[in-house]
Amino acid sequence: MTRERGDILKDLMDGVFLMNEELVIKAANEIVANNYDAYDAINNGLIAGMNQAGVLFDKEEYFVPELLICSDAMYAGIEILRPHLKKSDKREQVKVVIGVVEGDTHDIGKNLVKIMMDAAGFEVHDLGRNVPLASFVEKAKEVNADLICLSTLMTTTMDGMATVIEMLKEEGIRDSYKVIIGGGPISQAFANKIGADGYADNAAGAIKVSRSLLAKAAA
Amino acid sequence: MTTTTAAIPKDTQGSLERVMCYLKGEKPQRVACFPLILNHAARVHGISVGTYNRNGKAMGQSHVSAFRRYGNDLILIFSTTSTLAEAMGTKMNFFEEDAPQIAESFIKQHSDLSKVKVPDFNKDGRLPVYMEATEVAVKEVGSEVCVSTVFGGPFTTAAALYPVEKITRELITNPKWVHELLEVCTQAGIKFIDEILARKALPIIVEPIGSASLVSPRHFREFVTPYLKRLSDHVHKVGGGMPAVLHICGKTTPNWQPMLESEFDIWSLDAVDLGQAKAAAGHRVALVGNVVPANLLKNSPEEIDAEARVICGKMGDKAGFILGSGCEVPINTPPENVDALINAARKYGRYDN
Repeated sequence: MTRERGDILKDLMDGVFLMNEELVIKAANEIVANNYDAYDAINNGLIAGMNQAGVLFDKEEYFVPELLICSDAMYAGIEILRPHLKKSDKREQVKVVIGVVEGDTHDIGKNLVKIMMDAAGFEVHDLGRNVPLASFVEKAKEVNADLICLSTLMTTTMDGMATVIEMLKEEGIRDSYKVIIGGGPISQAFANKIGADGYADNAAGAIKVSRSLLAKAAA
Repeated sequence: MTTTTAAIPKDTQGSLERVMCYLKGEKPQRVACFPLILNHAARVHGISVGTYNRNGKAMGQSHVSAFRRYGNDLILIFSTTSTLAEAMGTKMNFFEEDAPQIAESFIKQHSDLSKVKVPDFNKDGRLPVYMEATEVAVKEVGSEVCVSTVFGGPFTTAAALYPVEKITRELITNPKWVHELLEVCTQAGIKFIDEILARKALPIIVEPIGSASLVSPRHFREFVTPYLKRLSDHVHKVGGGMPAVLHICGKTTPNWQPMLESEFDIWSLDAVDLGQAKAAAGHRVALVGNVVPANLLKNSPEEIDAEARVICGKMGDKAGFILGSGCEVPINTPPENVDALINAARKYGRYDN
């Protein structure tokens, strides 16, 4: 029996949002078997579910464990659907370079931001943790990034963020990118001090700040 | 600002006496001040952070130097929250000018749990460094100031034995296994308490992985509270009147209720409103906090003074309040900012006028 597209999308969404990976896998396979549109299923099913999870995270109803399990379900669904995307589905995306600055290996915060950026439909280039500062600049130039996102949990490494901004200035390309910073010791005041464009206090906030900076840049 | 230097009243009460007033329920001359000086002690002593972290004598003497320099009311022997896990098999990376960080978690697969043992405090990891540092500090200044030794609580130790992103997922997918791991970590914590008490120091438990930046009150109650409570019970049982002290970094507000159920006597809090914490928990716990650590590194002494003054103001009658930093005093903090914090306790935390 063939189910309606809408019913399957609801399973994709609920499966992500309610941390039910099995339901997501079953529904994603159903999309494929019925030749429903994979792009539609990712956006209006999986990503919609992840964004609902993000809303609950913002409200402190979901915390890190819940968000991670939701993202596992989302990525499991994307894995099944991605081979069925059409060429015409490739759209212009916001490009992000993200990483934890040199000297710091704490990356759970950065990983949460990456998940929410994937869910926001951004093209995320994740440099990982303990990233040499020049690598942020090189990668941003290489992929023609819109955003550079820098994370750290430690006070010993926070000045590396200022160094990245200085490097961009020295190359005369500071205005080509929006720089967003976050992490335990980071504050709006520190962002202002080093001339970052934005500061976010959690993963959901990072998306809001990104969108607002990009909207301003486009205006 | 000319007022900051002119108006600092002199202490006529010593550090240990001041802190004992809290324990005896008497009014001290002024509120105590616990800047959480950890790896920063190496700077005061003029050695590298790497040496501090690997040499017990140097670590202990660094804290003696810091106490002589600043007159802080608590010495905290500490290098990282992962030291118990390190002694249980997790590998660390060491740096000359920074605290160690986890290089490789000990547990790779669930079956590795059977290899996790309560460590030997005389030989495993850097526990001998901590023990020697504690002994040095107690011997040299233990009659003048309270010496404490800080270690990771069960949940934090578990998340240093098994990667934090895996263990947080498994709170949902594999709770039974997580509880088994927490049991061993709790036994290690109880042993740590005994070792520290035997050296006449105060054991302090730090549980940053229980921060509300990571886990919900529901998970805190299930995976953190019961094990922390066993540690506080143990301190109460064998500590000869010592308080059970808990530090949790970052945001903790949503988790205060299950924290209360862990029955600690003193909370050291970080990125929260201390006035709110007093309203929510002040009837049961004394509070330490919470000048923003990054501000100690970046701001001026005048700004630290102003920030500390606001905090003191929030604490009303100051009962059960100790001024401090929200988390570790950054390694490269200018000494005059630590002075400003302690002077703020002298100025705004008075009981004798």
